[in-house]
Amino acid sequence: MIEILYNVEHQKAAGIFIAIYFYLTGISAGSFILSTLAYVFGQTKFKPIGRIAVILATVVLIIAPLALLIHVGRPFRAWRLFYNINFASPISWGSFLLTFYPINCIIYGYFIFKNNAKMTKLFGIIGIPLAIAVHGYCGFILGFAKARHLWNTALMPTLFLVSAIVSGIALVIFVVYIKDRFFSQDGKVREELILDLAKLMGGFLLLDLFLVLSEVLILLAGSEGAMEAGWLLLTGKFAIPFLGIENGLGKILPAFLIFSPRLRTTNRLLWASFLVMFGIFFMRFVVVLAGEYYPLI
Amino acid sequence: MIIDLRRCIGCHTCEVACKMENRVPLGVWPAWVKQIEKGSYPNVRRSFLPLLCDHCDNPSCLTACPTNATFKRKDGIVIIDPHTCIGCRYCMMVCPYAVRYVHPIQKIVQKCSFCSHRVDAGLKPACVEACATGARVFGNLLDPREEVAILRITHPVQTIKPEYGTHPNIYYIGLDKDAVSSVAKGKR
Repeated sequence: MIEILYNVEHQKAAGIFIAIYFYLTGISAGSFILSTLAYVFGQTKFKPIGRIAVILATVVLIIAPLALLIHVGRPFRAWRLFYNINFASPISWGSFLLTFYPINCIIYGYFIFKNNAKMTKLFGIIGIPLAIAVHGYCGFILGFAKARHLWNTALMPTLFLVSAIVSGIALVIFVVYIKDRFFSQDGKVREELILDLAKLMGGFLLLDLFLVLSEVLILLAGSEGAMEAGWLLLTGKFAIPFLGIENGLGKILPAFLIFSPRLRTTNRLLWASFLVMFGIFFMRFVVVLAGEYYPLI
Repeated sequence: MIIDLRRCIGCHTCEVACKMENRVPLGVWPAWVKQIEKGSYPNVRRSFLPLLCDHCDNPSCLTACPTNATFKRKDGIVIIDPHTCIGCRYCMMVCPYAVRYVHPIQKIVQKCSFCSHRVDAGLKPACVEACATGARVFGNLLDPREEVAILRITHPVQTIKPEYGTHPNIYYIGLDKDAVSSVAKGKR
């Protein structure tokens, strides 16, 4: 029997504001990529949502860094990020991405509203790698944290990107539905469009489920800390948020609602997208908070 | 630095000396002594693990710091520049030894600096000076005539969490594996 008589535990490094930040950048990157489907890849059926998606992407990404500024201890020193640059640090990459990506979003959105197809396509093409990078780097932030086994996996950036696309599409479905229902002249919902979007979301949901499954299974086959982290998610304090809310309510139930023709109605698709957003929100919380749940020493 | 755990009596003097020397606010500790108790009567043991920044040869905090506030001096001491640190706490996320803390007043990240101001003046760090039993030995590990280097070579030494590849520079003689583990009672 081992008993710890005295030990010092310092403050937690990442908190809820980091989780909120990851959630917001994820939504932004996802809805930006969705808006490029129409204007860059020529999927004309998604054209009606392009404008909504790009507005959401821009607004959300302007809010997101505020969460970071609340998190850091000395926000007025943020200019140091552009002056004392460490190219090995993902946060340094992020400080540039978080500057260029919203600027590009605004220019891209401007040309969409000006109906300038050529320039829209150009800035869309520039924006796609930026959108992937601006959320991928969040995955790299956690992936580089070698102290924590839950974070230090090569899957982390991919997992973040896929969940970003899922939550981005979910938000766009939600907003399109609300806009059509309450803020358009005839109050008619474009069911075909929402169904197409939901099917796209369902595909990414299944991919996300597979990535989470492989992440947890490989954690359970890992070193002592990795096994601890894996069991914490499956049976420990994070079992209900992780299994129940994130994966049960947030992924499996919406996937059923989307792919089963008998259960599928446009109203339920709205619910599915709401559940997905809720589930991804919990996913960010679970990843950030469970990662540093156990003391290191 | 070498910490000879055969000599450590767990008196926490190093902790107090460190806090006095570096004017550390309440609630945080750059250096502390973890204590564990194991076994059941009559076969028991209390083990001590004095912890402080390992001043690694390959520090993960150096890669993580976005503003280069954490840097390594030529003599190997890893230091945080209090004027450059923005308090993003990313270094706290990547450090496997959990020695970094948020300074409650300045809101920046701080940690043990090996008392670099004392080392520059030719003195020993406060914890070494204060250690009642001489368990802590400080010096240049690369100079073969120094006591640390001799102890490092002639004794079986161990570092904490060598598997992380950070190459820590705090060597322990007689390290107890159970004291390093974060797993508390009941689980094993």
